[in-house]
Amino acid sequence: MAGAPDVSGPGPAAGEQLQQQHVSCQVFPKRLAQGNLQQGFLSSFFTSNQKCQLRLLRTLETNPYVKLLLDAMKHSGCAVNKDRHFSCEDCNGNVSGGFDASTSQIVLCQNNIRNQAHMNRVVTHELIHAFDHCRAHVDWFTNLRHLACSEVRAANLSGDCSLVNEIFRFHFGLKQHHQTCVRDRATLSILAVRNISKEVAKNAVDDVFESCFNDYEPFGRIPHNKTYARYAHRDFQNRDRYYSNI
Amino acid sequence: MAECSSWQPPRPCEAYRAEWKLCRSARHFLHHYYVHGERPACEQWRRDLASCRDWEERRSDEAQRSLCESERARVQAARKHILVWALRQSPPADWHLPLPQEKDE
Repeated sequence: MAGAPDVSGPGPAAGEQLQQQHVSCQVFPKRLAQGNLQQGFLSSFFTSNQKCQLRLLRTLETNPYVKLLLDAMKHSGCAVNKDRHFSCEDCNGNVSGGFDASTSQIVLCQNNIRNQAHMNRVVTHELIHAFDHCRAHVDWFTNLRHLACSEVRAANLSGDCSLVNEIFRFHFGLKQHHQTCVRDRATLSILAVRNISKEVAKNAVDDVFESCFNDYEPFGRIPHNKTYARYAHRDFQNRDRYYSNI
Repeated sequence: MAECSSWQPPRPCEAYRAEWKLCRSARHFLHHYYVHGERPACEQWRRDLASCRDWEERRSDEAQRSLCESERARVQAARKHILVWALRQSPPADWHLPLPQEKDE
């Protein structure tokens, strides 16, 4: 039986006052050591770190989901620099990555990212959080609805809930199952970074679902596979012509 | 809507054809049913493709009007949900700042 599903979520809240034990500090141990945000370039982590860096580079250069997100973020004033805005680190638990809003950095869990396809999906997922951070006043740390909204969007638009991925998780369903998956994975992502009950997390997701599930920015559609992502990128590059002629 | 002679269809006609073809594919039926629990509606893409070709051949005013209406309806449909958060007027101030340990070096 498959193990616990990997989740991605924002909010390793580095730099926030450590007045209470955040769940996130248990997941991203290197992020909240006092004043220490070093990457794990020690010899014992060299191999997984190197793989992470190479896979990340390939994702940034070739994946159509990511290329659109990078373009959209540049257009919004948040040009992404690989060395500044990405960090490959070891993480606890089954988490695959996270977005740290306090340092504007995407954390990639080099010990949990299994292969190139997984890296593509994790980077897409976290870039959606980064995109939300760039274009909106998202209160990651104290507004659960904002966090839930970004998690719904990331689960919806990153491919996390594709039919194939769900089948691999032994979650079988067809009619509208995508929405069930998005709700479930958004809830799991919230629970990975917040010390709250499942009921509270689920209620937050339900509260924002109608609005956030239908917010397809910057894709304009749900990109079910790379073809849809390429079409979405084409539309994004065409947006000047589009809006000046309607 | 731009009324002057520089108007052109919002998308190239080939884009309308590609969208219509994708919409009618078996794979898209499966994706759409998986997400929305119903079959996709592709007729509007076909109408838009016909309008686009009509405009290219005859510079038809009716085709121009039809395309504008169709695309505005798509934009309206995409924007009808109230956002959970407020949009920014400018990007976060600290997006490009160096990481804290880099600042200390």
